[in-house]
Amino acid sequence: MRGSVNRPPTPEAEDGRQDQHLSLQEIINIKLVESGEKERLKELLRERLIECGWRDEMKELCRSFVRKKGKNNVTVEDLINVITPKGRASVPDSVKAELLQHIRSFLGSAAL
Amino acid sequence: MSMSSVKSPYTVPPPCNHLASYKLKNGLAGYTSLQEYLRIAPNGKPAISKPDSKAPGCSSCNGSHQRLYLCLSCNWISCIDHTLSHTRSSLGHEIAVDIERAELYCGTCRDQVYDPDFDRAVMCKYIREMMPRGRNGFEGISIISERSSKRRRLVPGLDSDFSVSKQLICSGDQRAKSCYPLGLRGLNNLGNTCFMNSVLQVLLNAPPLRNYFLNNKHNQDACRKASADRFCLLCDIDVIFSAVFSGDRSPFSPAQFLYSWWQHAANLASYEQQDAHEFFISLLDGIHEKEGKAKDLNKDGRDCQCIAHRVFSGLLRSDVTCMACGFTSTTYDPCMDISLHMDTNSSLSADSPNKANKSSGNNMGSSSSTLIGCLDLFTRPEKLGSDQKLHCQNCQEKQHSLKQLSIRRLPLVLCLHIKRFEHSLVRKASRKIDWYLQFPFSLDMGPYLSSSIVRKRFGNRIFPFEGDESEISSEFEIFAVVTHSGMLESGHYITFVRLRNMWYKCDDSWVTEVDEKTVRASQCYMVFYVQKMLYYKANEELSCIPISSQRDAFLPVVGCC
Repeated sequence: MRGSVNRPPTPEAEDGRQDQHLSLQEIINIKLVESGEKERLKELLRERLIECGWRDEMKELCRSFVRKKGKNNVTVEDLINVITPKGRASVPDSVKAELLQHIRSFLGSAAL
Repeated sequence: MSMSSVKSPYTVPPPCNHLASYKLKNGLAGYTSLQEYLRIAPNGKPAISKPDSKAPGCSSCNGSHQRLYLCLSCNWISCIDHTLSHTRSSLGHEIAVDIERAELYCGTCRDQVYDPDFDRAVMCKYIREMMPRGRNGFEGISIISERSSKRRRLVPGLDSDFSVSKQLICSGDQRAKSCYPLGLRGLNNLGNTCFMNSVLQVLLNAPPLRNYFLNNKHNQDACRKASADRFCLLCDIDVIFSAVFSGDRSPFSPAQFLYSWWQHAANLASYEQQDAHEFFISLLDGIHEKEGKAKDLNKDGRDCQCIAHRVFSGLLRSDVTCMACGFTSTTYDPCMDISLHMDTNSSLSADSPNKANKSSGNNMGSSSSTLIGCLDLFTRPEKLGSDQKLHCQNCQEKQHSLKQLSIRRLPLVLCLHIKRFEHSLVRKASRKIDWYLQFPFSLDMGPYLSSSIVRKRFGNRIFPFEGDESEISSEFEIFAVVTHSGMLESGHYITFVRLRNMWYKCDDSWVTEVDEKTVRASQCYMVFYVQKMLYYKANEELSCIPISSQRDAFLPVVGCC
């Protein structure tokens, strides 16, 4: 990235990252991203959530929230905060199971 | 930008103070330098990524489960919490970019912000990236926003005033006033011909066709002289129009028309029940063939001007996107109608509240038991199977692809055909899908236009897309529904037509007035919509038909009133 006079000094966190003992979850995440698998899984998830109507329900939740608050009084952050818990709770089990299955088989094939 | 008279699909929101001061200070430099890191994600959407493939994470907490933002002033990547604290601690570092979506964010307003210059920078990169290898569906897009708006005028003759020139048309005596509007007459069943009668009733009440025939645009004498061919479907339809609008209410037998159609569709010439949709398409084809020959149209790709095409022809756009590199190839195909599948997928779990079906199809409990749901399904991106990998010009090899349909140009009259008859070659069996399908009386086709569909693909952008400037309204009003009842082999077609907001049931020889509820509850097979403007114009015209006392036109007969 281009250098900038405004750039604050490099904090310790960046250096510290390499030395830190990474949790299993973090390692898996890095592997998923680097191989491109995470993006494929995201696309699969997106497709499933559209098919079962989950996205439409979230849209409707957002719309009713905006109607209630008035469209000039709502930020993206508000919307995210409102629908995240409901969204997470309403993901169908079949979708969760399918994604877990994909991750499991990915881990099986990837050398950890 | 668009002319003031045209409804623009978006308005440019004014920038917040922070965005405005960022622009004052940096101009477009920040956006242009960002272009280097813009890439196209496999789903076709623009995103920002670092040159190395390291997993992007917040520079402060390494978190990657929230949205990540890139500060435009110092290129710091942070999660939302650290973006907000970064904004507070560093003066002037308010504006950031959502790296997954390539959309602007203001840390002080704590909200998404919009800048046409930014979106132009994103889209330019995209176009530049894809253009050398092909048009990528961006024909006609100019990066400079000067563009001539192509006015598509309504075809003359179809929207002309209802100047009643035919002397046969008269309104008769007092009794007629309390009776049905002109243009309603039963059609006798000539032997399993309800499929034909139902479609004829639609054509008799399609405003552009009514204007065309009643204004004598197809002159039978001229036609007979011009062509040696004894059979002309348009002449026969003209005969039917004259008969139906004559004021005589006794059921009419369209025998001459049936015979003519048998000449055209020899394989379907029998007294067996036929499929109404198949008949409809075959009829339009017959009209096109005859008129195409007569007018000696040039074949250099110009739009056909036969009446069938002028009324029913639209243009479909098909985009196939390579899932590896995002490259999209676009093709256009004309269509005379749209055939819609009903979705077999189940909706969400039972404990989600099933709200009553209002106008929106965005309803969880019954995602596809509405016509809107079917249209959503029609324009949804479809992942092509592994056995359908297509060759990508960019990657130079076969890749998994995503296909998406949209409507480039809407017709004057829109025929939506519901695929209720399933023919399985594997099982060598056919079946009928009886599910109820809710359909609206007013339909806005805006979300299914190519401009809307393509626009959505790139995220929330302030950017003019091809087709945005179209002056054709996308609002339609229903005027006819062909319904099918019974089983596959032995069913019955009837048509409901809407005149001046009253509904009439046309069941072969019998025409009766019915309630709106009856129509809504029916099992629709083909739903016909006309552009709203034409519908309301036609309604006005219906109310001012001149009265002539040439003959006692109203006879109390079976089948009417």
